[in-house]
This record gives sequence, structure tokens and C-alpha cells, in this order.
Amino acid sequence: MSPRNSAIQMTFLLAVVYLLMTGNFEPVNLAFSVIIGIGISSLVRPQHLSIQWRRLPIALAAIAGYLIFLLADLWKSSIQVGRILLDPRLPIKPGIIHIDSGCESELAIALSAHAISITPGELIVEMDHRGQMYAHCLDSSQAEELIAEAQEVRRNLLSKIFE
Amino acid sequence: MYPISQIIGSLFLILGTAFSMLGILGMLRLPDVYTRLHATGKVSSLGAVFLLAAAIFLTPLSVGKGLVLIGLLLLATPAVSHAIASAAYRIGIPIKAGQRDDLRTRLPKIKPHE
Repeated sequence: MSPRNSAIQMTFLLAVVYLLMTGNFEPVNLAFSVIIGIGISSLVRPQHLSIQWRRLPIALAAIAGYLIFLLADLWKSSIQVGRILLDPRLPIKPGIIHIDSGCESELAIALSAHAISITPGELIVEMDHRGQMYAHCLDSSQAEELIAEAQEVRRNLLSKIFE
Repeated sequence: MYPISQIIGSLFLILGTAFSMLGILGMLRLPDVYTRLHATGKVSSLGAVFLLAAAIFLTPLSVGKGLVLIGLLLLATPAVSHAIASAAYRIGIPIKAGQRDDLRTRLPKIKPHE
């Protein structure tokens, strides 16, 4: 598929999503959805989206599961950071630690970084295409434990998605 | 007697406000941009998630739209925190009270001054 066709396909999909979200099918809104679709697809690299209709329910379920996992992790990390903030001594030892994810594919690296950024006390500052990640953490004295924990999170996540 | 949806909505409203205030407390107490991102990126965004959940119960916002907004917020928050942290490191904003910095050997051209 040529880049131009991909852009048209993407514009169409974005317009449909916008219309479904606004729930308003008046001509003005239809035109506006197309304008938004064109605007967004001109900003990103045109990419052919191969939609496999048979796998769509599984993919949607995986996305929903990932979001629930993110919500649970966000809750845990907020409680942990909140406890540090409310402590009068403010017990932080910030630092940047190195994590070797050992992942190969771009998607796996991106998902790992995304998930680790929300695990308690960690935030990815820098990463590269070879899977080397650098995480800022609130308590770097337990860096090795944090790395082990992050690897655990990552492995669980990836096994769920690419089973 | 209030309807049950109002009670749940009010509970979410209180939780959301509490977490948002905790995030602001983090902004004030923590020393530098990286540690502050932990407070705003996690605690405050959880506050926003709870406030959206409260809006589903208390305002005419439809459930589907509210859930989509929560999902987009959950996906966007870590990416935004990472983008700000990465940009801050690249322009050389120092890590206050830093214990270790494994990244400094990796990016030698950028010298964060402590």
C-alpha cells in the first residue's frame, strides 16, 4: 500500500473514532472529524495498518488488560510516593540506574519503558534501540532490588501480551 | 437518603481531590525536576483519574466517554513524564542530592553539573 493510501486509511479511522466519541453526526461535525483526521495523519509518519479482523477481539482484550494493569500500578505507586511525601523527613535518595531490558523488538522495548515508568518510584529518563534503559528512581540505595522488580514487571507484562 | 451513585461519586471526588493535593504537596516539597515528576506524573494523574470517575457518576458525562478518557490518560501520563525527564536531562538540569548516575557515562557530551 502506498504512503498516500495509508494516510487516507488513517484519516478515515481517526475520523470514525472521533465521530463515535462525540456521538454527533451533524454535517458540521462530520467535516470537523475529517479535518482532525487529516491534521493528525499529517503529523505522524504514514504507516500501513494491517487490521486482522479475526484477532481484533483478542487485541482489544489485551489492551483492556494492560489498562487495568496500569491502573493498579498507578494506585500502588501513588500510595508509595504519597507516603514518602507525607513523611516529615522526606526519605529520598534520588539517582539514575541502568536497566538492561534485553528486548529485541521496538514494540517490546517501548512497552517495557512505558510500564516501568509507572511502577513505584521509577521513571525512564533515557532509552535506546538496543533496549538499554536508564531509570530515575526515588530511592537508589536499593537499586538492584528495583532493577529486579522492574524486570519482573516487564516479564509478566510481555508474557501477557505476546503469549 | 441520597442515591447510591451520588455516594460513590462523592467518594471518588474526595479521593481525587486528596491525591491532587498530595501531588501539589510533592511539587512544593521535592527538590528537583526529576523527583517532582514522580509526584505530578503519578500522584496527580491518579487524582485526575478519580476526578474523571467522579464525573461519570455525578455529571451527564457518559460512561463510555469517561472510560475512554481515563484510558487515554493512563496511556499518555508515563510517556509525558518520560519526555519531560529526558528533555531535562539533555539540557543539563542537575540531579539534586543524587546518589548515583549511571547515565552520565553513557552521554558524556551532556554534563549535568551538581
